[in-house]
Amino acid sequence: MSGRGRYRGNSCHGKTLSSVAKETATSLPEDSPVLQMFKIAAHKLNDRQDRHERLVKLSRDVTIESKRIIFLLHSAITKTSAEKSIHEAKERLQKLIQGPLKGIGLELENSPAHLHSRAVTPGFQEFIEARMFCSFMENKLLITWPEVQKELEYKEEDRTVITMVPQLDYMLGLADLTGELMRKAINSISSGDSEECFDSCQAVRDLYTGYLGIFGTGKELARKLSTTRNNVFKVESAVYALRVRGGEAPPTLLLAAKPDWERNDHSDDEGFF
Amino acid sequence: MSSNHIINTIFGEFQKNLDQEQEIREVIRNICKDVDQISRETTTVLQVIHHDETAIPAACLKARELFEKANVGYNKLKEVVPSGDYYKYQDHWRYMTQRYCYLISLTIWLEKGLLATHETVAAILGISAEEQKEGFHLDIEEYLVGLLHLCTELARLAVNSVTHGDYNKPQQISKFVMELNAGFRLLNLKNDHLRKRFDALKYDVKKIEEVVYDLSIRGLLPKTENA
Repeated sequence: MSGRGRYRGNSCHGKTLSSVAKETATSLPEDSPVLQMFKIAAHKLNDRQDRHERLVKLSRDVTIESKRIIFLLHSAITKTSAEKSIHEAKERLQKLIQGPLKGIGLELENSPAHLHSRAVTPGFQEFIEARMFCSFMENKLLITWPEVQKELEYKEEDRTVITMVPQLDYMLGLADLTGELMRKAINSISSGDSEECFDSCQAVRDLYTGYLGIFGTGKELARKLSTTRNNVFKVESAVYALRVRGGEAPPTLLLAAKPDWERNDHSDDEGFF
Repeated sequence: MSSNHIINTIFGEFQKNLDQEQEIREVIRNICKDVDQISRETTTVLQVIHHDETAIPAACLKARELFEKANVGYNKLKEVVPSGDYYKYQDHWRYMTQRYCYLISLTIWLEKGLLATHETVAAILGISAEEQKEGFHLDIEEYLVGLLHLCTELARLAVNSVTHGDYNKPQQISKFVMELNAGFRLLNLKNDHLRKRFDALKYDVKKIEEVVYDLSIRGLLPKTENA
């Protein structure tokens, strides 16, 4: 419309560029079929955008609460306090499943899958990370994708609602888990629990081995893989330090070597945000 | 060792699904290559409108024939794409579909001077116009982008039709594009590709306005239209 309103000074016929444009514009019928069609299109697009916004919000709620649950699980030091925090974490995870995650499922119930995947993937990944970390703390076991999927099925009066977590999101969340396991390994050195540390280290290793065997994935997973590799290096050198110097020094002394990892700790292991 | 077993299952399943996905993508790619080829051919056929007015009806007929072929191709796609995964593989046919929306709406405009609706375009391609939970359909955004392409092509046609002495067409185009422009302003566009494409519409509108202006100050517009 930039042609409109530009006065050319050539008005021998009383016509300017803008008056020509205006004539055409005013001759349009108010409610032509074309405009009618665009109104319908506008409605469809608005619908889509609104749903997207709502999903982004829900996904952010899931992300925040999941991060807090992970933090809660880290904060436990003794065995008994660990049990207590696992119990609380499980309750809070359940609340997440019944709350925002169910909301996502309901929101997506009648819309095509993957259309809004960009809106929900951060929340899903973080939830998977928290859910896995909790179950690992509890019994050293991971849960498979179908099992997670089963937890996200909801019985409504007349139908079943499922919050579909794409397998890729599951795998991305699992990759993030290595970061948490690394932290846990290092934390357990400081609390003198070397058994715990070796277990976590082995789990990180196993996961990394698994990812190495996967081929044909997209960019996201490739990016996470380099973070995972760093996690493996960090945790392995920590375990090495524990082995070599563990016999000669009390656990607290070993921590002197820690700030080294601790400093890069925050830089890249939360690869997502 | 049971945890190791679980990890093996997790990764094994994932790899299996990845492989399956790759296979589907390969099939989709092959179909899209053929269908895309037809769209290029149609584009070439329709270029004749810019220099030979008498050839327009024949070009439209030819285009219609090619749309029939595209319809067959889309039917194949419909079969191959798993229901529910439309948006997962959308990138494979996105640009191609936009081009078809443009080509079909151009053909219909040349034939009847009317706007092809979302439903019409979808029907010619043999797919649904409704956004469904499952199944293949014509995405509304793709259709709208196609209309924007149409406006650019019509702006060019306005210029060229004057060149070979048709002073009637620019006015017809001007009315049509103005109406579309008014329509697009009703949409709440996000900062996405559709929005960017829409921002370019004003240049097409300007080009057409200038043509109509040039004709009007020289008194070249048909009298009946002027009154």
